[in-house]
Amino acid sequence: MNVLPLVLYAVAGVAYAFHFAGRQPQAGRTATTLLLFAAFAHTFVIGMQTMEAGHVPFANPSRAISTFVWLLTLSYLYLELTTDERAMGVFILPIVIGLQTIPVIYPGLEARDEVLDSPWFWVHVSSLLFAYASFALASVLGLTYMLQFKEIKKKHLGYLYTRLPSLQTLDVMNSRAVAVGWLFLTLGVIVGVIWTAQARVAAPDDPNLQAMVLNDPKVFGAVLTWGVYSFAMFARRTLGWSGRRAAWLSAIGFAIVLLNFVPINYFVTTSHTFN
Amino acid sequence: MHLFLLGVSHRTAPLDLRERLDFSSRDLGAAVEALATRPSTAESVVLSTCNRSELYVASGEPARAREELVAFLSDYHKLPREAFLPHLFVFDDAGAARHLFRVAAGLDSLVVGEPQILGQVKDAFQTAAERHCTGPMLTRVFHWAFGVGKRVRTETALGEGAVSVSFAAVALARKIFGRLDGRRVLVVGAGEISALTAQHLRSQGVAEIVITSRTHAHAEALAAQVGGRAVPWDELRRTLGRADIVVTATGSQRPIVTRHDVEAVTRRRTDPLFIIDIAVPRDVDPEVGEIEQAFLYNIDDLQGIVQENLSRRGAEIARAEAIVDEELARFTAWQRSRGAIPTVVSLRQRFDAIRRAELERLDTKLSGLPPDARARVDEVTRLIVEKLLLEPTEQLKALPDEETQVAYTEAVNRLFRLREEEGRQAAPEQAEKAPADRHRD
Repeated sequence: MNVLPLVLYAVAGVAYAFHFAGRQPQAGRTATTLLLFAAFAHTFVIGMQTMEAGHVPFANPSRAISTFVWLLTLSYLYLELTTDERAMGVFILPIVIGLQTIPVIYPGLEARDEVLDSPWFWVHVSSLLFAYASFALASVLGLTYMLQFKEIKKKHLGYLYTRLPSLQTLDVMNSRAVAVGWLFLTLGVIVGVIWTAQARVAAPDDPNLQAMVLNDPKVFGAVLTWGVYSFAMFARRTLGWSGRRAAWLSAIGFAIVLLNFVPINYFVTTSHTFN
Repeated sequence: MHLFLLGVSHRTAPLDLRERLDFSSRDLGAAVEALATRPSTAESVVLSTCNRSELYVASGEPARAREELVAFLSDYHKLPREAFLPHLFVFDDAGAARHLFRVAAGLDSLVVGEPQILGQVKDAFQTAAERHCTGPMLTRVFHWAFGVGKRVRTETALGEGAVSVSFAAVALARKIFGRLDGRRVLVVGAGEISALTAQHLRSQGVAEIVITSRTHAHAEALAAQVGGRAVPWDELRRTLGRADIVVTATGSQRPIVTRHDVEAVTRRRTDPLFIIDIAVPRDVDPEVGEIEQAFLYNIDDLQGIVQENLSRRGAEIARAEAIVDEELARFTAWQRSRGAIPTVVSLRQRFDAIRRAELERLDTKLSGLPPDARARVDEVTRLIVEKLLLEPTEQLKALPDEETQVAYTEAVNRLFRLREEEGRQAAPEQAEKAPADRHRD
């Protein structure tokens, strides 16, 4: 079922690349339209899976990735439609397409662990996925900032210079994306802690719940992520770390998020595995 | 009706002649109205910029229009015609349309692709339209030209990239700061380029322009010119701390802004600092460029950008010319299709006359039918005639060139005896000309 959105994402990705290279407004509008179609198809897929499982599909890692991709696309579309800046699409779409191939290759079944039948869990996971989607956007904005910065600093005003938005625009958008992401990350972690405590009382023998301690790689990764973004927020407001430093921080932060999301989920962690 | 164009431009005439033939400094509207009263000009538009003075008219007699336009130029500017005749260019029909399309696209400009010309063409047309000096011919060709200008601007990079040092500096500032409103500018040294740059920055809505110069009077003069504030020379260090954009252009033999000065400033600010050093020898120590937050551009860097942009524009010219060719082909095809209209109209009238005559002849036989059946007979015969004429009409409008059109029109006229039966139909072109004529009366 995840194939159709993937194909549409790929087509939209090609259109964004076309728009980036040729800078024709018509190509840009086509790219946005295609991405809207892809998001619509993906919404349909998520909706079907929600009806099937009785909750938004994210207990299984593959499905969680699919939901993450969906949220990332929606956040990006929001950013694009509010700022009318399409240049970032060419950087976002590869992430979208790359991640969306995972649920296509490993569809996975949505587990119906009864531990998960809690509104806390729902808030926990959706907050975190939305936070990660914001961080993904922030990292792409940071990356484009660094590229643009380099072009202007080197005094070689070439291919990227004419296509990327201004440094100030990129920095402001990055700052907003990090702030929104940090807010939801904090909410997600707090809700997760509360929910684990409650679930432990209800099911004291669940090995999954017992593994949710700070030295579990997945939990540690989340806390580390929170630390990096908290520092980024703090540094921007008090030490004046904007621009290039903020861009670096959001790139590092998202690298940790990705590590935590994909390899740790599949190979290392003992917690957060519900199937 | 023919399109006719006569004028001078930077390609054909030296500056002093262009100045003497300029309309823009005097009342352009009056000039258009004066031109429209000539007997051979049904419609007229005067396009006058510092690089060109061009008269566009729609005329039934181009040869006579030429004479009248030359006389008009000579009278209006009080110049003997010998003074400008060798510098005139003259185009008619497709040639005139091509010239207008190229002008609107910025292809004929002194700086190829400069953005103002399209607006100037629009203004010229607007001025004429407001005085009812335009008609169907010029309205069509000018609107087509606006479309060509827009297409070239959106589909090619002909107008992209700054091609003057001061614009290049402003473009860079916009890439660094985004919108410039709320930004503070410090100008050190009052020279010509710094004045231009300050003016461009002012038009981008910067919050403040502070000017300082060793000679305070110069700073005050420039401040008055660009709407800034002059401060004494010894406050340079202090004002540097408040600026986002610094323009230096003094005649100093040694750098006046050192790495130490800038570091003291950047340590306290989070935003980048953009320094434009257009002085020769340089006013800003090149080491300043190594500070992470400082973007330092000197005159050579800016001129390099300008050169690069110019050569990039050059590469876009062929694409823009292709658009002009394509649009010109479409425009002339449209014009030819209009040429077929009188024939098409008389053909339709002829067929309809036959239809009515036959229905009248059958009137007694049809009188027995109920009214709705009679209405249906009328409807059916009308539809048959329309169906029969549909294909020939399309074919006549889509003929590839004028010669074929003349031959086909002649053939149709003869095959259906259009002229003998109906007499000459009033051509729509003449009918449409009426408003312009009326105005002239």
